[in-house]
Amino acid sequence: MLKNWLQIFLHHIKNNKLFTSLNILGLSIGIAGLIFATLYWNDEQSYNAWNPENEHVFQVINDVGEGNIWNTNPAPLNAFLKSTFSELESHCYLNTWYFNEIIEYNGRKELIDRILDSQNTFFSFFPFEFIKGNAETALQDNTSIALSETTAKRIFKDEDPLGKQVLYSGRNLVVRGIYKLNKKSSYAPKVVTNLIHKRLDQNKDLWGNYNFGLLLKLKNPSESEHVSKKIENLFIEHKTKNDAKNAGLTLEEYIEKYGPAKVILEPLKTARLHSIMDGYPEGKGNYQFLLIMVGLSILILILSIVNYVNLATANAIKRAKEVGVRKIIGASKVNIIKQFIFETILLGCFSILLALVIVELSLPYYNNFLNKELLMNGSQFYLQLIAIFITVIIVAGILPSIYVSNFETLKVLKGNFGRSKSGVWLRNGMLILQFAIASFFIIGSYIVYQQVDYMNTKKLGFVGKQVLSINFRRTNDEQTLLRYYTIKQELLKMKGVKSVSTGVFTFGEGARSSSSFSYNDISIQGENMAVDFEMLDMMKIKIAEGRNLSPNFSSDTINTMLINKTTAKMMKEPNPIGKEINWNDNKLKIVGIVEDFHIYGPQIEIPPMVFFHMKTIDWMMYNMNEVYVKIEPENMKETIANLEEFWTTKVDTKYPFSYDFVDKKFARTYETYVKQKDLFSLLNIVVIIIALFGLFALATYSIERRMKEIAIRKTLGAETQTLLKELSKQYIIFCVIGFLIALFPAYYLLQKWLENFAFRISISIIPFTIGFVVLAILTLIVVLSRAYEATRVDVLTYLKYE
Amino acid sequence: MIKIENLSKIFRTEEVETKALNDISFQIKQGDFVSVMGPSGSGKSTLLNIVGLLDSVSNGSYQLFGKEMVGLKEKDRAKVRKQNIGFVFQNFNLIDELSVFANIELPLIYNNVSSSERKKRVIKIAERLNISHRLKHFPQQLSGGQQQRVAVARALINDPKIILADEPTGNLDSKNGNEVMELLTDLHANGATILMVTHSNYDASFSQKTILMKDGMILSEKLNQRNIDILVNN
Repeated sequence: MLKNWLQIFLHHIKNNKLFTSLNILGLSIGIAGLIFATLYWNDEQSYNAWNPENEHVFQVINDVGEGNIWNTNPAPLNAFLKSTFSELESHCYLNTWYFNEIIEYNGRKELIDRILDSQNTFFSFFPFEFIKGNAETALQDNTSIALSETTAKRIFKDEDPLGKQVLYSGRNLVVRGIYKLNKKSSYAPKVVTNLIHKRLDQNKDLWGNYNFGLLLKLKNPSESEHVSKKIENLFIEHKTKNDAKNAGLTLEEYIEKYGPAKVILEPLKTARLHSIMDGYPEGKGNYQFLLIMVGLSILILILSIVNYVNLATANAIKRAKEVGVRKIIGASKVNIIKQFIFETILLGCFSILLALVIVELSLPYYNNFLNKELLMNGSQFYLQLIAIFITVIIVAGILPSIYVSNFETLKVLKGNFGRSKSGVWLRNGMLILQFAIASFFIIGSYIVYQQVDYMNTKKLGFVGKQVLSINFRRTNDEQTLLRYYTIKQELLKMKGVKSVSTGVFTFGEGARSSSSFSYNDISIQGENMAVDFEMLDMMKIKIAEGRNLSPNFSSDTINTMLINKTTAKMMKEPNPIGKEINWNDNKLKIVGIVEDFHIYGPQIEIPPMVFFHMKTIDWMMYNMNEVYVKIEPENMKETIANLEEFWTTKVDTKYPFSYDFVDKKFARTYETYVKQKDLFSLLNIVVIIIALFGLFALATYSIERRMKEIAIRKTLGAETQTLLKELSKQYIIFCVIGFLIALFPAYYLLQKWLENFAFRISISIIPFTIGFVVLAILTLIVVLSRAYEATRVDVLTYLKYE
Repeated sequence: MIKIENLSKIFRTEEVETKALNDISFQIKQGDFVSVMGPSGSGKSTLLNIVGLLDSVSNGSYQLFGKEMVGLKEKDRAKVRKQNIGFVFQNFNLIDELSVFANIELPLIYNNVSSSERKKRVIKIAERLNISHRLKHFPQQLSGGQQQRVAVARALINDPKIILADEPTGNLDSKNGNEVMELLTDLHANGATILMVTHSNYDASFSQKTILMKDGMILSEKLNQRNIDILVNN
């Protein structure tokens, strides 16, 4: 029986090479899309899933009011967590970022990134597998260091690292553990040290310094509410009460005014995708983008399955006779269904194989696109693959086969079944669905394009072209400013360097610190934008009112400040210039207002900012990590090479020279959205191609079915034009219906997407008009070309028939 | 073998009610060769379809081997059909995509006959019908007469109790038509039961009995006088 089925199947493939291959291609593109989405999904879901503690580990997040949510905590909690929290199994103070430092062994230096400083409980929170040493002793004291397997290889080559001493930022540390870093984790440090205690001690009475990440391991995860309340109470007792006293208010008044400080315990299990903030060094997954990926890929798969079903049922009419004969000879309905499912299984196999080829070939691009290293492996993936396959077979195979098996034998054998209207509503319904999906994609990608274009061309308020931000490592903090001035002088002598300056902020990432100050009882949390004099001019940031900071005024390094327009607005002061502000007990006079510019990405609100000279607030130099250099557009390569040479020989002989162009770095802040635009455009093309092909095939079939009618009309004197109108009318109607169906979901979902952006376009009628016109034109082209061909055939062939 | 009593078949559309068969009764015995004649629309094809279990009945009784067929489910009808009835059509109804061999073999597949047994039986019947040299060809490569012989081979492969032929010569020229009629006569001589619908008096004369139909009713039944044995032995 299989042989017989196979024979027929191969015969049909041979006779319909184009349609079959396009059909398989469509289906495999759909499946490939879903495989891509599945890989992405698996990767994101696998974060921390391996961690047996993932339900017990919580990150402490502080909501200190006014939209300030921090993943850091003050040190004094340490003592209380140890003594008075019986709900806890343990806690762990640690950095929420990684260092990037040189580790030296036997005179050989390796620059290692992802170095974590943590309390010794770290490995009970993230129980990585130990190859040498063990989790308990790996961080036993402040001379211990634990290395990941690959890092140990880098530093020690073939030597056994255990017990050996390495030099790390001026300290001798002993390697006490080697662990495997082979699982997706929110903390995945290459190196862990236990040096945090010194800093904890320095901060042990400072309730206002939120400097440390904090993880708790609860005995019973359901007590998290209770524990966070308990911590909140500690904050009220030790922090809020003092703050209130200093402000001259009662505790109640203070809380009323500034809001209660809230403590949020967030479980590790859901942190990767659902955290309220980007609280871990490995970052947060983009859940929205993940959903978009999965959603779009399912849409495309539906589209290609619909295509398949449509073609299969249309094609089945051609096979009606075969089915009829089979039934007369003794095939049961079930048997016919089996035969057609068998065919779908074969086509499905081809498609899924082709899909795997497509995925395999384009995986590098996809990984590049997502900044990931996804691989097609794991039993989970193969199970999902089988599930996808079965689903596709069921959805794509059953409908057409039931449809076919229900052909009435008698009608079929009477011979005029080819023009039967059976199944027309099904195919038309599906065609409408295809039109709807295509409309959604056209409208959606146009809106996404508009928004990204808006961001690309938005005036940022600064010009980052030809400005390099050079990584500046502070070695001796007290001398930082002096060193900077020396470097500046030297740099300015170099050919091609236009100007040199510095600031304690990074374009795209914001300022290193922010401080709150009050003006007329209005509290403002401003970004601290300490600068050297030339900084604003170099970046072409404009002064709206008053004057810029200048070396000509001696007061400008002592007690003056600038504010940006946002701050001025928040202060509700019509004339802020000349006003004095109490900024952390420094009396600073406002001398100018800076035009607003973007410091985070163009999708994010511009925060309030205060500007002063580096010297005005002396601790600002501890935040200085970059030197900005503007160079001539000519011979940039050479200038940069010179800079590098100077830097690595005179400034920093240990570390490699690292720099970034300000404009490029800033563009990376909204890179994900640019990528989303590219993705949407690419999928848009895929969708349109699949949909048009479906339309093409369906129009071909349905026009073939109407050939006799066309022949009769022609004999009766119909002109080509009338015929064309007659033939294309219904498709235009379907196109309109499909478009109308897509209208609301497109509007709603894209509106939701646009809410990501503080600065966004409003959805106009243009994308919808364009979407409709494009769809209608493409539809007309396809249908008319088929119809025109039909009107040119020889009338006699069709009238003689039967 | 076949016993039909007071059988009616009514086609209904929204406005019109057509009686395709109006209260007819007749019998066919084992080994009979009966032809049904009548003008277009007289109901003869409908009758054949009902006997072949392809169509349902509005009223009356149809017994095959003493078993009532009216009211059987599609599934059971398909079973009876594949075990007992072979069809020969005016337009052959061969599957163009399958070779002659595969076409003839098809009923055996649906009756779960093993592959080696199938091959044996196909070769045997092909020899008998003189199409052995055509087994690997596809239907479109054969002449009309050869195609009809393939169709007959397919109808016979399963040793059906009764052969239903719907104008088997309708699409053939007289030479090929004659060949097919002689084939049927031959089968009959070897004991097959045949019910044939035809337009042609000449074709009908090959059968033992002719039923004449008009407007869904049987006008007459007459026995044919031709001596069949002599013809076959020629």
